Amino acid sequence: MTAVETAPMGIDASAQRHTGRPGLFSVVRWEVRKLRAQQRARAVLLAALLAPVPIVVVLHGQSRPPKDTLFGRFAPDHGFSLMLLVLGFASQWVLPLLTAIVAGDIFASEDQHGTWKTVFTRSTSRSKLFWAKTLTAGGFAVLMLSLLETSTIVSSLLIVGHQPLLGLTGQTIPASTALPLVIASWGSMLAPVIGFTCLAIVLSIWSRNPAVGIATPVVLGMVMGLVGSLGGIDTIRPFLLSTAFESWHGLLAEPRFTGPLVEGVIVSTAWGFICLTTAFVLLRRRDITGG
Amino acid sequence: MNQVLAVDATGLVKTFGSVRAVDDISIQVAAGEVYGVLGPNGAGKTTFLRMLFGLIRPDAGTIRVFGKTWDDSGVKTLDGVAGFIESPKFYPYLTGRQNLEGLALLDGGIRPGLLEETLEIVDLFGRSDHKVGGYSYGMRQRLGVAASLLREPKLLVLDEPANGLDPAGIRDMRALVKRLAASGLTVLLSSHHMDEVEEICDNVTIMRRGTIAFHGTIADLRSMAPDPGHVLSTTNDVRALDAARLHPDILVTRELGTALVVSGPVPAVSAYVGALVRDGIGLLGFTQTRTPLEELFFMLTDDNDSHGRYTDDVMTEGEYA
Repeated sequence: MTAVETAPMGIDASAQRHTGRPGLFSVVRWEVRKLRAQQRARAVLLAALLAPVPIVVVLHGQSRPPKDTLFGRFAPDHGFSLMLLVLGFASQWVLPLLTAIVAGDIFASEDQHGTWKTVFTRSTSRSKLFWAKTLTAGGFAVLMLSLLETSTIVSSLLIVGHQPLLGLTGQTIPASTALPLVIASWGSMLAPVIGFTCLAIVLSIWSRNPAVGIATPVVLGMVMGLVGSLGGIDTIRPFLLSTAFESWHGLLAEPRFTGPLVEGVIVSTAWGFICLTTAFVLLRRRDITGG
Repeated sequence: MNQVLAVDATGLVKTFGSVRAVDDISIQVAAGEVYGVLGPNGAGKTTFLRMLFGLIRPDAGTIRVFGKTWDDSGVKTLDGVAGFIESPKFYPYLTGRQNLEGLALLDGGIRPGLLEETLEIVDLFGRSDHKVGGYSYGMRQRLGVAASLLREPKLLVLDEPANGLDPAGIRDMRALVKRLAASGLTVLLSSHHMDEVEEICDNVTIMRRGTIAFHGTIADLRSMAPDPGHVLSTTNDVRALDAARLHPDILVTRELGTALVVSGPVPAVSAYVGALVRDGIGLLGFTQTRTPLEELFFMLTDDNDSHGRYTDDVMTEGEYA
């Protein structure tokens, strides 16, 4: 005997029916809840929090520092240099990868699980779902960057110390000034990271494939970095999303200049706007035939 | 009283590339009705239901759900509507309960206790804290019904709800759908099983290649059904076939060069079989091929002569022995 046959029919067709409409915050809560349940997202946050510690320990213990790298020469013995060395490395492909792991998957995983038809047949519009997922991916990017920044700075200070920083123009920057500059340098990553988040989102929606959504922004970031390093393309370079990852250099020069920072924010915003507009239109107009 | 139709679809067309999945169909479902949409795979049933849910935009035509259209009302069109298309899908890394709680969030919340009620109804209360990734197919189907009931719908749309279930699961699912229908819900049931629709529905639309092949009541359908066919196996099929010449009310054909298939009114078939026995021809087997409604279903939906003897050509040219 099965309970389907014997269970009471608890649903009264004449009962007051619910016709509520969820707010954006409710939908974001649902997306965050799903994210928290995914091992991949938890692993990224854990890596952002813990990975800097062994990296700092290893670099601190090196007898032959990476002299060819920006801030590499003094990194083993100067905490602030080490924080900036890690920043330079992270901006090459680590940050695009870490944000794309969620942003490149958050839409495509609905295709993977066939769940678009499940969520689109509830009381939430496509627009609201789009913005909830976008906010969730963006929030994750901010959290990931904050954890990575905090962990790198704290572990460098504790393990290496707070020796004065030698700036890019050879000037000595005292620790009291160096710390806010390093924090600001890490903070300047936010705009391009959000730009890459938006790029991953549009690829996630367009490809309907999590692997494409995650890997392609990383590859594109590396290609942009390579193109940016070529000579004779000065007119293109400022418009590359990867260029914004280098905009903090001006903060550590004497005299300081912030033009690239402003340019980086504008370019990243433009990339984000174009990517999100395209993604929104693609999702709104899409026929859900699978699942 | 002029009651708003639960579903009022007019002139719907949907084309995918060169394939016209739905070709100018109109379907009306009255409130409180249990309505069947029947057809073989690829007939356009699911495309129609996806248009109803707003998952697919029609190329032409309009679809109103309780008087609302997607163009005018957006997602409000689905107020009072629930169901699932093909097999219901959930997040495998969440438990059944977490999935339902999330869907309730997407509905703007539900009344207290409803989630437990629906889990009880579909017999998943004891497994609700297990991850959906470990659920059997039947459990996911039942979770799909639970997810639908959370919306306390006026119209329940079920797309082949018994598909992929074992016989016990099919029995339970049909019982559940019948009970839901009896509670006053409007039910729109898509199926490719005639017996399922016959058992549950009041009215039916049969689709074939994106068009409507039949529309009417189950009673209308029964009146159109052909005589039942029987597979007959004897000790001497040649003599049995020859003996059929004396029974003009029946059709006897040889299928695949082996068994005989007898079609015609039951009394005439009975008389023919009795005559065979009296003539000393031994009966080795006598089984009904399909129910009359199944026969009609195949007549209405077959594209070619894969069920040849039931196509128009064969029926008009068929040899009455």
